[in-house]
Amino acid sequence: MDVRKPIATNGGYWLPKFGDLWKTQIEALKAQFGKAIEEVRMPPDYPTDVPIVYVRKDEIVPVLNYLKTDSKMDYGFLADLTATDEQKEPRFEVVYNLFSHSSLCRIRVKVRVADGDEVPTAISVWEGANWAEREVYDMFGVKFRGHPDLRRILMDIRWVGHPLRKDYPLKGYQVFADAEPVDPTLLD
Amino acid sequence: MSKDGSVGFLTTRLDTIVNWGRKNAIWPLPFGTSCCGIEMMATLCSDYDMSRFGAEVVRFSPRQSDLLIVAGIINLKMAPVLKTVYDQMSDPKFVMSFGACASSGGIFNVYSVLQGIDTMIPVDVYVPGCPPAPEGVLHALLRLQDMVAKGETHSQRALAAKRNSGKVLRTTSL
Repeated sequence: MDVRKPIATNGGYWLPKFGDLWKTQIEALKAQFGKAIEEVRMPPDYPTDVPIVYVRKDEIVPVLNYLKTDSKMDYGFLADLTATDEQKEPRFEVVYNLFSHSSLCRIRVKVRVADGDEVPTAISVWEGANWAEREVYDMFGVKFRGHPDLRRILMDIRWVGHPLRKDYPLKGYQVFADAEPVDPTLLD
Repeated sequence: MSKDGSVGFLTTRLDTIVNWGRKNAIWPLPFGTSCCGIEMMATLCSDYDMSRFGAEVVRFSPRQSDLLIVAGIINLKMAPVLKTVYDQMSDPKFVMSFGACASSGGIFNVYSVLQGIDTMIPVDVYVPGCPPAPEGVLHALLRLQDMVAKGETHSQRALAAKRNSGKVLRTTSL
């Protein structure tokens, strides 16, 4: 595979449209945060549709805040917050997919997290990160520091383990005959 | 029978006439959780018209219905709900497992999906397909009607077993 070849995406070829914009944005980001930016993977040097910015775990909230509020960036919309299990050290990557309504382009921010480590919560930047972080916690067991209500959101509260971890068995059914008990902390 | 064709009287067994009534007035409870639910709606609507077989009165309360149509994927979090709905239906109750997901988990052989509702509740008829065609559903309904008439469904058999064990004095289960 030729990694120099632009990758087709849902929006057609994004590189000719947004390539220059991305370059200036990444430079501004590097100038602003310096060592907090661990690594940048740009198309077409790396086979990706949008730039991937690896950020140090503790600096993620200022970086996200900058990407959201700065007039050059204006990535106002957190399109998705998810994670991946990389099966190496550090084990997880928390992924923030951002979208800009003004320039209609996207960018991807990632944080590397070891198993058991905590990522600062992004709720102060986007309220909607609340449930997304709960889902990441539910599926991967990645904890978020400062999250006000870090409970399981999809699986039964009696569930053992985190189903999207690579070491969780695909057919690890946990069948409960009676309904999920109400969380006592939610009662008045 | 009199000369003008009207039936003056007719002899039968109580069980038979009761089951005849049951089989021609099956009230379904639609438990449609995904795309199979759409096929179920098509079967109930005018083109296929399930009311031809006396099964048009769709009830959304388990206490008023005889037939639980489980149409669609049942994930593990939904399974206790399905069990509760089944338990709340009054005897005799029948269950139709509608489509591949309800019957076996279908293509979803993963951690979050119940591998067939028969691991949770007894099933009388299975309808294969993904989703099944309305003709298949009507066939299953007719098959179920035959079973009801003969008293072969799970819940009728359980009632009969209870009756034969001598714990119930009544000779028929009205």
